[in-house]
Amino acid sequence: MMDPILVTNNVLDGLLMGLLYSLVALGLALIFGVMDIINFAHGDFVMIGAYTAWLLAMAFWVDPSVTAIITVPLFFIIGIGIYKLVIEPVLGAEPLIQIAVTVGLGYVFQNIALALWHAEPKSFPAPWLNFSISAGGITLSVAKLIAGGISIISLYLIHYMLTKTKFGLAVRATSANREVAPLMGINVKKVYAITFGIGTALTALGAALYMSWGQTNPYLGQSFSLLSWVIVAMGGLGGVIGVLYSGLIVGVLEALGSTFITPSARLAVVYLAFFLLLWFRPRGLFARR
Amino acid sequence: MASMLELKNVHAGYGEFRVLHGVNMRVDKGEIVALVGPNGAGKTTTLRTILNMTTRYEGEIKFQGRDITRIPTHKIVEEGITMVPEGRGIFNPLTVYENLLAGAYTKRAQEKIEDSLEFVFSLFPRLKERKNQIAGTLSGGEAQMLAIARALMARPTLLMFDEPSLGLAPKIVLEVFDVVVKLRDSGVTVLIVEQHVKNSLEVADRAYVMEMGQIVLEGEGKALLKDERLKKAYLII
Ligand SMILES: Nc1ncnc2c1ncn2[C@@H]1O[C@H](COP(=O)(O)OP(=O)(O)OP(=O)(O)O)[C@@H](O)[C@H]1O
Ligand SMILES: [Mg+2]
Repeated sequence: MMDPILVTNNVLDGLLMGLLYSLVALGLALIFGVMDIINFAHGDFVMIGAYTAWLLAMAFWVDPSVTAIITVPLFFIIGIGIYKLVIEPVLGAEPLIQIAVTVGLGYVFQNIALALWHAEPKSFPAPWLNFSISAGGITLSVAKLIAGGISIISLYLIHYMLTKTKFGLAVRATSANREVAPLMGINVKKVYAITFGIGTALTALGAALYMSWGQTNPYLGQSFSLLSWVIVAMGGLGGVIGVLYSGLIVGVLEALGSTFITPSARLAVVYLAFFLLLWFRPRGLFARR
Repeated sequence: MASMLELKNVHAGYGEFRVLHGVNMRVDKGEIVALVGPNGAGKTTTLRTILNMTTRYEGEIKFQGRDITRIPTHKIVEEGITMVPEGRGIFNPLTVYENLLAGAYTKRAQEKIEDSLEFVFSLFPRLKERKNQIAGTLSGGEAQMLAIARALMARPTLLMFDEPSLGLAPKIVLEVFDVVVKLRDSGVTVLIVEQHVKNSLEVADRAYVMEMGQIVLEGEGKALLKDERLKKAYLII
């Protein structure tokens, strides 16, 4: 028998993680939606972001989540740099070349991490936020509550930017028709660069929040990539809200699978549910027919 | 008087594929100029080249006396040229209103946005009724009106149309030509590419005929209508 309190606790845990996953996946969704490039290195940006947060936390002896103040703007600029150096040159290229480039970028990041920090996991030894609060049998991590809260605020801010600002209009127009957008006076290359910067900055934010309780190793990017792809594939067509719903579903499935089946099967549970969904909705949750 | 737009010996194409072989054209202020010719002649390529959206090998393009051959597209729009593209190029997922706002993206257009909205809604009252509709759900005629309205939101000095009547019912085709004339009368200079050769020559002050990437004939619109070669080629009755 499943204990209802344990199930509830898992669902709540899953929802909190789902918020964080949505935040990370939104970066992937933005880049894909605007420039039609699947960034296979997306999860590896999270991994590098996690190491950066860890290094800064160690250096300044603050909780890793606090380092987002530095890592988010830093990764925004790094994202723009990588866009200019690696992505822009292959914009018009064959999909296979684009895939090779972003997959390669991910491996470069992994190798750098392996060379610099080796395979042993790293975590901040004195996290301030890694304690729990309990009420009525339910126990939640304060670090995850804060991560979830900051994630949802960030998702809202991106949603606001996209729907209510002039730059957001340029992003959506470019995403709808990149050939015609310049005829409006929109500088498409600039939209691409900033979008890539924002997408990268979101990975740094997600990573810093995660490091409040988590640990990183050179392969951390794989699970973030896998989760982000499912989330975007299921919900990407629904914009920020689609990514949010789909991230929450993935977070809950992962938590339940991890507790009631086995932690090592958590990604398999998510993917099996995804395959199942595709039987009924081949174009994801938010396709308009 | 200096021309508003001037193309001098323009050679252009797509990468290695050359399409235009020395095009010379001009558009004067306040004119409607038509560019006609058979499929694949290079009419769309000419308009795209003016906006620096193709590969240019040789030649010069001047707008209001200024060389614009090396200016990126989005800055040329800021200078005052815009185009209603072939196939309309509506932003389908956006609303009608958002499409219009996108049209007014440039600095020159931003200040006059309220004025412009009023103007395009008076020109196309249908768009006002459908302001909050998703643009992808408009009918073909409505979508063409939106494409024209969106271009007008940019406050162009020179407005280029690429086959605005393509795929429209005859009655709506006439409406489109009415709008073109109205715009010219309101002070916009027009360069129009059209399949409806007869209609366009009737409204055009001057016209160019293009074949295989070169201008083969030019003259006043009404005079060209009587040209025997043209009559034969386009079966104008
Ligand atoms: N993006 C492109 N890449 C390569 N070649 C192109 C491209 N667009 C057009 N062409 C080629 O350039 C030539 C001229 O095309 P263009 O579209 O300018 O003709 P057009 O006069 O507008 O014809 P239509 O009346 O059919 O619209 C054609 O041979 C066409 O195949
Ligand atoms: Mg054409």
